[in-house]
Parts: sequence; C-alpha cells; structure tokens
Amino acid sequence: MKKKLKTKRVVLSIVCLILGFMIAYSYRLTESGKSSRQITDSQWEKNLSLRNELNEQREKNRDLQEELNKRQEMVRDFETQLANEAQVYFNLAEDAEKYRMFLGKVKVKGAGVKVTLADGEYNPDEPNINNYLVHEHHVYKVINELYISGASAIAINGQRLSHNSYILCDGPVITVDGYQHPAPFEITAIGEPKVLSAALNITGGIKDQLVNDQIIFSLQEQSDITLDPVVGKK
Amino acid sequence: MWLPFMGLVIGVIIGLLTDIRIPPEYSNYLSIAILAALDTLFGGIRAQLQNIYDEKVFVSGFFFNIVLAASLAFLGVHLGVDLYLAAVFAFGVRLFQNIAVIRRILLTKWTTNGEK
Repeated sequence: MKKKLKTKRVVLSIVCLILGFMIAYSYRLTESGKSSRQITDSQWEKNLSLRNELNEQREKNRDLQEELNKRQEMVRDFETQLANEAQVYFNLAEDAEKYRMFLGKVKVKGAGVKVTLADGEYNPDEPNINNYLVHEHHVYKVINELYISGASAIAINGQRLSHNSYILCDGPVITVDGYQHPAPFEITAIGEPKVLSAALNITGGIKDQLVNDQIIFSLQEQSDITLDPVVGKK
Repeated sequence: MWLPFMGLVIGVIIGLLTDIRIPPEYSNYLSIAILAALDTLFGGIRAQLQNIYDEKVFVSGFFFNIVLAASLAFLGVHLGVDLYLAAVFAFGVRLFQNIAVIRRILLTKWTTNGEK
C-alpha cells in the first residue's frame, strides 16, 4: 500500500513537472512576444518618423539637385556665351589684323615671290632707247597680275604699296607714292608662291610680254619675305 | 505530499530558464495543450475526491488530451477551420464543471465536519 502511494506521488510529480514547465514556458513565450510587440510598436512609431524625415530629406535633396542642375545649366550658358563672345572678339581682332595688313599699316611676313625687272642690255642697233627700258606700265602689268592672282601685299624696291598708291613715270626713274626708284625694280609680293609664279609664267602672259619688250625678267619664289609698313607719302 | 509541489516548482523553473524559441504560430498549440493539462488535472482531483481515481486513466488522459488538443488545433489551422475553438470550449466547460464538483464536494465535507 505504501509503495503504491509512493509511485502514485512520483507519477503525479512528473505530471506536475510537465504542467509547470508548459505553463512557465507559455508564460515566458507570451511575455516575450508581448514585450517584443511593444518594442516594435514604439519602434514602428520611431521608424515612421525616421522614414518621414528621410523622405523629407530626399525630397529636399531632389529639389536641391534640381536647382543645382539649373544653376549648372546657367553656368554652361554663360560659358558658351563667353566663348562665343571670345570667338567674336577673336574674329574681330583677326579681321582688324587682316585689314591692317591689307592697308599696309603693319609689317607682313610670309611666303611669296620676288620679281626683278631690269633694263635690257644696251643695243646699238636699236635707235630708241625706250624700247629696252623698263616703263611704269611694265611695273603696272606685273603688279596687277600679282594682285589678280591673289597677292595680299606687294612692295616695290622694299616700298609697300597700299590701296591708293600711285606709280608715275618720271623720266629714267619711276615714282611710287612720291619716292623715286631707279631700275632695276624689285617687286616683292606675298601670296601663294606657286600660284603667283604660274600666273606670271603663263604662255603669252606677263613674262612673255616683258621679254618681248627686251626687259630682263627674273622670277624667284621665296619662302620668307618680310614687307615693311607703308611709309608716309611725300 | 511535497513531491508533486517540488515537481511543479522545478517544472516552472525549467520553463523559465529554457531558451528555446518556437515560432509564434505554434504558441497557440501550447495554450491548448495547457488548457487540456489543466482540465485533466482538475478531473484527477475531482476523481480523487470522489474516490474513483485511477492512476492509469489520469496519466493516459493527461498526455492523450494534450496531444489530442494540440493535433486538433494543428488540423484546424491546416483545414482553415477554427477547430481549436472546439478544444477550448470543451476543455473550458469541463474545467468549470470539474471545479464546481470539487467545490460542492469540499462544501459538503466542510458542512458535515461543522455539523459534527
């Protein structure tokens, strides 16, 4: 009877142990779940506010980014405008330089040709000396031909010609803008040397005509010619 | 007589110290099992007081009810029917009945003792 009572108690205590374990475990589980849920509740609030803040910041960032883009666009516009203006000024300066060059206000340097016209040899058979002298119309011809073939600057015996230069026959000499020059005449022109020499050498062209007039004509292509500016007229 | 209490205390301590985490959806089954266990325990006490206590019936009922309640809840979850409500209802009603019977028995005992 006593033994039976003891086994009964052992079994009962095992049952109680299991019951206690289950209750305590369940309690703990429920408690932890509740606490974690509470934490998530407060966290949710915090999350929400943080997310709102983040969204606000993002929106602000986006606005600022847009503004930045706009400003950069403006800066780029300014820059292109400046570049255009610089280009315009550069072109103007270039044009001014070019016009100065054409007007003979500045020294010009470049490739070109040198034409020398010298009087013919003394010929006792020729009664008229004028038949083998260089006249101003010969010089005209050469200069016109050079201008026509694209010479940008021409000088006679180192004297620069401008748009309103004049050449006069003055007995044995010719007068260019008031300065007298004796033969031989050295005409230097800046331009494309090949084109200029080809234009002068063309068959039946200036060279042939001058040679027919007993004039000693020599043509020289030069890669570096410097022409001084126009000197004041007399 | 102290042995069952000792068992209860030890069980509570073990339960509080256990650090096994189970998914929250299984905590329902545990609650049902606790309800079944409580029901069986009070049934056992009543049987003891009515002198019809049988150890085999008590122990088998204890474990079988736990397993049955848990599996019923499991089945209910998987069938989409709230079958655990049936277990809660059945066990709850029986719990109240058992406690009422225990109260009456104790009352009659007390009154008969007082009359003596």
